[in-house]
Amino acid sequence: MDEWKPNPAIKPHKKRSWYLAWKYKLMNQRALRKLCQTGAVLFLLVTVIVNIKLILDTRRAAYEEEEESAQDYDDEMLNVEVPRHPVSNKKVLDVEVYSSRSKVYVAVDGTTVLEDEAREQGRGIHVIVLNQATGHVMAKRVFDTYSPHEDEAMVLFLNMVARGRILIFTIKDEGSFHLKDTAKNVLKSLGSQVAPFLSWRDMWTFVGKKGGEVYGEKHAKSPALSTWGDPVLLKTEVHLTSVEDAECHWPDTELNRRRKRFCSKVEGYGSVCSCKDPTPIEFNPDPLKDNKVFDVPVAVIAGNRPNYLYRMLRSLLSAQGVNPQMITVFIDGYYEEPMDVVELFGLSGIQHTPISIKNARVSQHYKASLTATFNLFPDAKFAVVLEEDLDISVDFFSFLSQSIHLLEEDESLYCISAWNDQGYEHTAEDPSLLYRVETMPGLGWVLRKSLYKDELEPKWPTPEKLWDWDMWMRMPEQRKGRECIIPDISRSYHFGIVGLNMNGYFHEAYFKKHKFNTVPNVQLKNVESLRKDAYETEIHRLLGEAEVLDHSKNPCEDSFVPDTEGRVYVMFIRMEQEADFTTWTQLAKCLHIWDLDVRGNHKGLWRLFRKKNHFLVVGVPASPYSSKKPSLVTPIYMEPPAKEEGAVAVPAVAAAEQT
Amino acid sequence: MQKINKNVVLALLSLTSLVFLLFQLYYYKFYLSQKNGAVFPKLRGRQSGQDSTRWHVVRKFLGLISSHNIPVYLIDPLILGLVDKDIERIRGSSDGPSPECKYFCAPRDFTTFALLDKTWKHEVGLFRTAEKMGFQWLKIINKDPRLDGMDDLSGVEIPLHYIFKLASHAIHLVVFYERSGNYLWHGPLRLKQHMDRKFVSFRKLHFGRYPGAYEKPELLLVSIDDLKVQIPKNPSSFLEEMSHSRFLECRYREARAFFQLYPDDASLDAVEFRKKAKSLLHLAALTLNNLGVKFWLSSGTCLGWYRQCNVIPHSKDVDLGVFIRDYKADIIPAFQKAGLPLKHKFGKVEDSLELSFQGEGDVKLDIFFFYEEDDHIWNGGTQAKSGKKFKYLFPKFTLCWTEFVEVRVHVPCETLQYIEANYGPDWKVPVKTWDWKSSPSNVQYNGVWPVDEWDDVIQIY
Repeated sequence: MDEWKPNPAIKPHKKRSWYLAWKYKLMNQRALRKLCQTGAVLFLLVTVIVNIKLILDTRRAAYEEEEESAQDYDDEMLNVEVPRHPVSNKKVLDVEVYSSRSKVYVAVDGTTVLEDEAREQGRGIHVIVLNQATGHVMAKRVFDTYSPHEDEAMVLFLNMVARGRILIFTIKDEGSFHLKDTAKNVLKSLGSQVAPFLSWRDMWTFVGKKGGEVYGEKHAKSPALSTWGDPVLLKTEVHLTSVEDAECHWPDTELNRRRKRFCSKVEGYGSVCSCKDPTPIEFNPDPLKDNKVFDVPVAVIAGNRPNYLYRMLRSLLSAQGVNPQMITVFIDGYYEEPMDVVELFGLSGIQHTPISIKNARVSQHYKASLTATFNLFPDAKFAVVLEEDLDISVDFFSFLSQSIHLLEEDESLYCISAWNDQGYEHTAEDPSLLYRVETMPGLGWVLRKSLYKDELEPKWPTPEKLWDWDMWMRMPEQRKGRECIIPDISRSYHFGIVGLNMNGYFHEAYFKKHKFNTVPNVQLKNVESLRKDAYETEIHRLLGEAEVLDHSKNPCEDSFVPDTEGRVYVMFIRMEQEADFTTWTQLAKCLHIWDLDVRGNHKGLWRLFRKKNHFLVVGVPASPYSSKKPSLVTPIYMEPPAKEEGAVAVPAVAAAEQT
Repeated sequence: MQKINKNVVLALLSLTSLVFLLFQLYYYKFYLSQKNGAVFPKLRGRQSGQDSTRWHVVRKFLGLISSHNIPVYLIDPLILGLVDKDIERIRGSSDGPSPECKYFCAPRDFTTFALLDKTWKHEVGLFRTAEKMGFQWLKIINKDPRLDGMDDLSGVEIPLHYIFKLASHAIHLVVFYERSGNYLWHGPLRLKQHMDRKFVSFRKLHFGRYPGAYEKPELLLVSIDDLKVQIPKNPSSFLEEMSHSRFLECRYREARAFFQLYPDDASLDAVEFRKKAKSLLHLAALTLNNLGVKFWLSSGTCLGWYRQCNVIPHSKDVDLGVFIRDYKADIIPAFQKAGLPLKHKFGKVEDSLELSFQGEGDVKLDIFFFYEEDDHIWNGGTQAKSGKKFKYLFPKFTLCWTEFVEVRVHVPCETLQYIEANYGPDWKVPVKTWDWKSSPSNVQYNGVWPVDEWDDVIQIY
């Protein structure tokens, strides 16, 4: 348009004359003039139509474009934004706490944050920790102080809670029987007036700020031994502080941001949330030279035991040669707190919708976790499988790095495990020594991908079969005569006391005295001799140099083994066929090692240490090593004690509990 | 006077409308040129300035990336297309300065790079540096498909795309993930509700409309327009791969629902069959891929994938489809070499070709060849004893990638139509007795082979 306009202005005369000439011509030809006029009108109409069409086209194109992009690039799932609770500027919380024989509940601002009326569960003192600025529940615990030692755990927990937090206590059923003075004093120091005098079947509620004011306390005395105190309901108000007061002022780094997020949500992790000098959450252990397991994914199988997970991850991330990028924590269920722990350490966590019940649930969780691990790391040939209740030795990865090539090359191997079932304080000695065993110990082990993908995954027990995954893996159909490599001194330590298959007594008896390696960079000494055939040569050499012990003595007695150090001794026990473990079980029992089922054997041979001497036990005549028995020696036979009613069932049940 | 006025008014009106029309046309063309980038390059104006902007943005981005040791490679189809024309020269060229900016100055709105997820740690530092350099950036995250499966897992969402914008140019960084089945996967680009829809014109991106699957590329470090950058060693084959890279995820949620209704067969036989079928499919995929023959899951195997994300344990064989235009005479010897002898061959290349190979332990591999017509695609069947011919009709389809029993294979993108053609609307209900001559809903009787051809078209070993 701009270019055209000036034209008439520049040459007006010429145009004018041309127009006049044209006009006169037309004047003379009326018909032609009429035609031109109609033509002009028609042209006008056409341009108008074309114009309109163009406008419409452009608009439609533009509209389609928008439409298209909206359709293609919008997230299908309309993110329904959950309407966030308006941040209440309220400065006061209404707290209701109820304590009675069969029911406890706690409500904060009308929201029930604890309710427990289950029968025969939840006995003892329930403790809830609230954030003093937001009123959010940061921790919920129950300590069965009717039973021994639970009060110690409570004291430990209360000491870990940061100053300023709001603590709520309530008793369900009974909470005083094993509540010792130390614990009572701690409660007293929190401001409780009643705690020192709490007695049998009293009901009690208490709300207070750690290191600060008391918001309320109510107590109902039990009138007689056989009856409970009357239910008590405490209603009180708690004044909230400002967020700044409730938070620590750590320097603003990526790590501290994670720490801050964690510490404002949960409680009971002690110094990690301490304002002054918090414990580190990044460990940077020394890297390993020539680390063969740097790219091996590590699957941590977890449930809802966040404190365990915290302890476990700390030890894992402190192990030399760890590669945090390869660690995935698989949480069985949508629990928030374990996920918080995972995020605190900057690891990746995956939650799994629970399938089935009890042991089958654990088993399904294992399967889902292993499948996902190999999906996430399709290049991996192995996976390290850990559980949330294990401490990991500082040389765990060094141990694996030195031995993993065996798993790759030796088809007769089933796994490498960090755990020696028979490696107790008094039976394990040499951190550089490895064994081959026919049983699969679990508790920190390496799985070959081909084994999982080709054999285990397709026939993994289905949810309706209520099987233990590890018992299933130990079955001959799965193991097919293959063996696992284990260290003499375990590279993991099983600290879990509370678990699906665990209780305090059981742990004390079988796990507490387990030896755990704390020496870094142990150079393993006989790695190549662990291959199938080389191991036989090695065993024959050992048996050849071993001194035969005096079989007339009682093998349970300490004097059975001479007071020497560094020698190799052998004893022979009776073992009629491959599955005859009568004598072995009795021997294991009196040696105070694992006796619930048979572990740690290799072709009827057990290897352990006694009094710092290597101690070999050969089952005669079932073991191929029986030929090493001097003809004069009679294998020792130990009779099982007379069976009591129901005693048979115990080993079977308890054996299942090792997971 | 009146008449003159009328004429003048008419003429003026005509002129105005003509001008208006021209203006509209101009505007429309301008709009088109914006849409198609290079169609009307002359209308864009200030060419040299814009060109060097692109080059500068790319250079800055490469600097940013290398300062954080993040290995990226160029996958921009436009630039790779240009590069491909001169590939010999570029491969051979030394580091001497190039005379003109030929590639990175080419008119476009984006430059696309790829990043292998496992080669970098998701550091926040990168974005801080990017911001300092003046980049605005956008991160697009979504569900991790590697956690999709029969188990209900949920993890942290993973980054799929990054867009770095500086001045008038933007860098699109596509994150590729390794998946089981030995391939690379990139996710779709989907904007969440709170995201800035106008950040860039997403519609013009070359990646992200659909998820895609690629082979792991071999890379080559080259110097283009004085910038050192990694490119796929063979750009033309990469571009070819890109044109049909669309990936479909298995429908795990529906599969879970299916197994709720019809619990899976967990018998030892089923486990064994699945194992054999899986290894047979792996072997077949390896053999056909080596020959460069494109194939897809067909019939029961396709149904198994679509309905239950697994091999149907009561099916007896593995079924694959191949377009007859991809037929190669080497197929039979190649399978024989892989340890799969020919079991039977029905039909001929011109008509109803079908090959069957004997896999391990009674599991059969059937390869059906598909013939394309104007409005449909069909494959043939032959009854050995009677010489009867059958025809199975399918609506036209294109091929998509998917992952099935840990191998990357093709399936018809329009899977539902394909399955419904074959199995009817009740394909969701498992059927144990199946007659290939009468059960399919798309079967047609197709006459009888002439008796004198039988020796050729019915070969049973």
